[in-house]
Amino acid sequence: MSSFFHVVLVGIIIAAMGAVGWFVLPKGKSQTLLRSSLLLTLTCCYLMWAITYLAQLHPIISPRRSDLRAEY
Amino acid sequence: MSSNYPSLFRSEEMSLVQLYIPSEVAHDTISELAEMGNFQFKDLNPSLTTFQRSFTPRLRALAESSRRLRLFRTQITSLSPPLGITPLSAVPPFTTVGPRAQNAYDELEGKLKEHERRLADMNRSWEELGKRKSELEEKRWVLRETAGFFNEAEHRHTEIRTSFDDGDGTAPLLEHAAEYGTLPGETGLSGFDLEFVSGTIERSRMPTFERILWRVLRGNLYMNYSEIEEPFVDPTSGKETHKDVFIIFAHGSDLLAKIRKVAESMGGTLYNIDSSQDKRSDALREVTARLEDVDTVLYNMGQTRRVELSKIAEMLEAWTDAVRREEEIFKTLNLLSYDQGRKTLVAEGWCPTRDITAIQLGLRRAMDTAGTSVPAILSELRTHQTPPTFHRTNKFTEGFQTLIDSYGIATYQEVNPGLYAVITFPFLFAVMFGDIGHGILMFMTAAAMIFWEKPIAKGGVNENLETFFFGRYLIVLMGIFSIYTGAMYNDIFSKTLHLFQSGWEWPSNSTGLVTAESTGHVYPFGMDPLWHGADNALIFNNSYKMKMSIILGVIHMTFAICLQVPNHLHFKKYMNIYAEFIPQMIFFHSIFGYLVICIIYKWSIDWAQSATGPPGLLNMLIYMFLSPGNVDPSVQLYRGQAFVQTLLLLLALVCVPWMLALKPYLLWKEHSKIKAQGYQGLNGQENGRHSTSEPLEEEEEEVGMAVAESTDDEHPFEMGDIIVHQVIHTIEFCLGCISNTASYLRLWALSLAHAQLSEVLWSMTLDLAFESESGIVVRGLFLFVMFAMWFGGTVGILCVMEGLSAFLHALRLHWVEANGKHYMAGGYPFMPLSFATLGNEED
Repeated sequence: MSSFFHVVLVGIIIAAMGAVGWFVLPKGKSQTLLRSSLLLTLTCCYLMWAITYLAQLHPIISPRRSDLRAEY
Repeated sequence: MSSNYPSLFRSEEMSLVQLYIPSEVAHDTISELAEMGNFQFKDLNPSLTTFQRSFTPRLRALAESSRRLRLFRTQITSLSPPLGITPLSAVPPFTTVGPRAQNAYDELEGKLKEHERRLADMNRSWEELGKRKSELEEKRWVLRETAGFFNEAEHRHTEIRTSFDDGDGTAPLLEHAAEYGTLPGETGLSGFDLEFVSGTIERSRMPTFERILWRVLRGNLYMNYSEIEEPFVDPTSGKETHKDVFIIFAHGSDLLAKIRKVAESMGGTLYNIDSSQDKRSDALREVTARLEDVDTVLYNMGQTRRVELSKIAEMLEAWTDAVRREEEIFKTLNLLSYDQGRKTLVAEGWCPTRDITAIQLGLRRAMDTAGTSVPAILSELRTHQTPPTFHRTNKFTEGFQTLIDSYGIATYQEVNPGLYAVITFPFLFAVMFGDIGHGILMFMTAAAMIFWEKPIAKGGVNENLETFFFGRYLIVLMGIFSIYTGAMYNDIFSKTLHLFQSGWEWPSNSTGLVTAESTGHVYPFGMDPLWHGADNALIFNNSYKMKMSIILGVIHMTFAICLQVPNHLHFKKYMNIYAEFIPQMIFFHSIFGYLVICIIYKWSIDWAQSATGPPGLLNMLIYMFLSPGNVDPSVQLYRGQAFVQTLLLLLALVCVPWMLALKPYLLWKEHSKIKAQGYQGLNGQENGRHSTSEPLEEEEEEVGMAVAESTDDEHPFEMGDIIVHQVIHTIEFCLGCISNTASYLRLWALSLAHAQLSEVLWSMTLDLAFESESGIVVRGLFLFVMFAMWFGGTVGILCVMEGLSAFLHALRLHWVEANGKHYMAGGYPFMPLSFATLGNEED
């Protein structure tokens, strides 16, 4: 189910979004700004997500708590 | 980037331009250029002092005018009730350009002078009258207060009489005494055979005054005083003084003269009053009448003054603006060099190459306004001087660019990190500030500032809030990214969201220490909510956030190193690519790139199914240096690890001499090649400047052109300097790699601190209220108070203070860790002459 493959897949989707955005964004004074901002935003958000996802992929420790009530 | 549009990627291409301005259009041309605001004038007479410049007398006259205007302004603003100054937009424009401008300015000068004279007259008589008025007022107080003393004294006197005449028991006598006691002459004197001095003195001096008198007169006096409740206001300075009325009885003209002297020397004012009550009440009546007269005159005068000032207030803004513009124009004209014979002014300066056409149009416009047929002529110069750095920012990018500019102004045409800071800055901030709730608060605040941008900017902002207002677009992005990272951390005001199927579940019906069981899922978006509240959540979060900071840091720095490449390509220093960029990349990635790959690899392995346990990556990195070539099989991450690590270590080692020696060697080789060809002595000529307008230069060497040539600094080839520089650079880079990577751990530390702090705040306020078991009313009240505390803490501590701290750390990461890798920051800012920025400088 969950595997390293997901991270790659989402990465490809994000890259595709970036590529589309690169060409779709209108020409004009702020084209460079918009392009760089779009790519950086996608990269940053993807990185953050991927790291969080990977960190939980094969957890070495499991959550533990001692204050659970019986009915929970 | 020779695109059609200006971008933030590199600073604008600039041109050194020379303008030949016929003197009759000079004024209007400068005005037009300042209106457009894209021309930076150079001082063509650097050797001249201010006094030697041609337009200094005119400037001095203007300074006088602006002094007058300031004077008017202070007088208008100090009026009460306040008088509104008509804003600039509501006033008919003042003719600042065109053939009639000079006349208009001369007229204005005359008008201002006239106004000043009239005002000064009025103020003088106002002052005099004010002084008179306060004198009269003082006298009135003296009369009133002394009346009290006299009455008291008289009363006592009659009492004494009564006791004397008690035996007679005759009422008429008593009445008689009471009647005649107030009469002037014999009765008055018989009542008080003491003479007296009366007057006023400042309250603070009263004790000293009393003591001195006591000493001087050896106690032979009877002194009485009372405080005047109302303060006296000085008509000119508006200072309030409190005064006391005193009356001193003493005997003998010598003593009285002494008292007078002492009183006068202490700054007191003496008022002659009569001891008889009739005369005193006459005097009081007279004083009151005169006071009324003075008041009427003062009132009328105040009205006239007000009318005069309101007339000025109507035009004040227009005049101030006009004078300011004129001053700026003449200051600029002073920078130009003047050709007496041809009656032309020569200006030289920088402007964006892109704007030259616009400037040429502007010159034609200026010619039209001036009403002549000879426009100023623009010619572009070729120069080797470094042009100023000019980034065209808008209201969105200006905040980000300021962050970078405060580190250093970019070298001309260098890659500008400000373009990337637009996203990376809010992102790194958000990594430290991740919380959906706090992010929303931040976003809303900034969004409100953007939504009401115009009214806020118009109304003027409080000085402390101005910074926040200036960075509103920055804050809005910081808020948005904080919401995203908050979703990743699954934190909303220290609570959690449970949106998807969790990867864990608590075993049912078990108490005590429970360990969650895996459901086989991975929480798809962000941190699994089951970790929230778990005893070992911190251990998991620490490991996750620490690794994340390293990964983000390495990627951010790699990006920064890569930004060198466009610089090297643009400045045609291809040598730097293989002498600096490539070894730097190899060095950095053979250590930290490898670490990142190991982190990701370790995550991708299911250690439950693995034969060996999960290795500690930190130890792995340390032993990679301490015992290269040996990896303990029990903590091995993958097969062949020892070989790979040795290889990487060797690669890193090779890079050090590569960075250290290659560049100096290549430079030396290049230099000796030139030397061998016999060009050494002609170095200067080789780099010499070839002006496009060379024939002109020959004609008028003294005019302007020479200046473009003069700032010519030739660095002789110094092998020692180059080597030292390269050694420093290499050491800085190698050590920097380690310390800078460690520096990114602040992302972990701050985000952890933020999360912990918001959790503590919650448990110390709202949690207490939720868990309290008192009655509903008490609980409600308790909840209300606790909510207020919680909200105050959230905004004050978590959003503002933590926000500021995260901001500073993000700024440091950009300035030191990222900019240090590629940003030369050796430029100087482009400061065009512009009327638009005039007002801001003044305030």
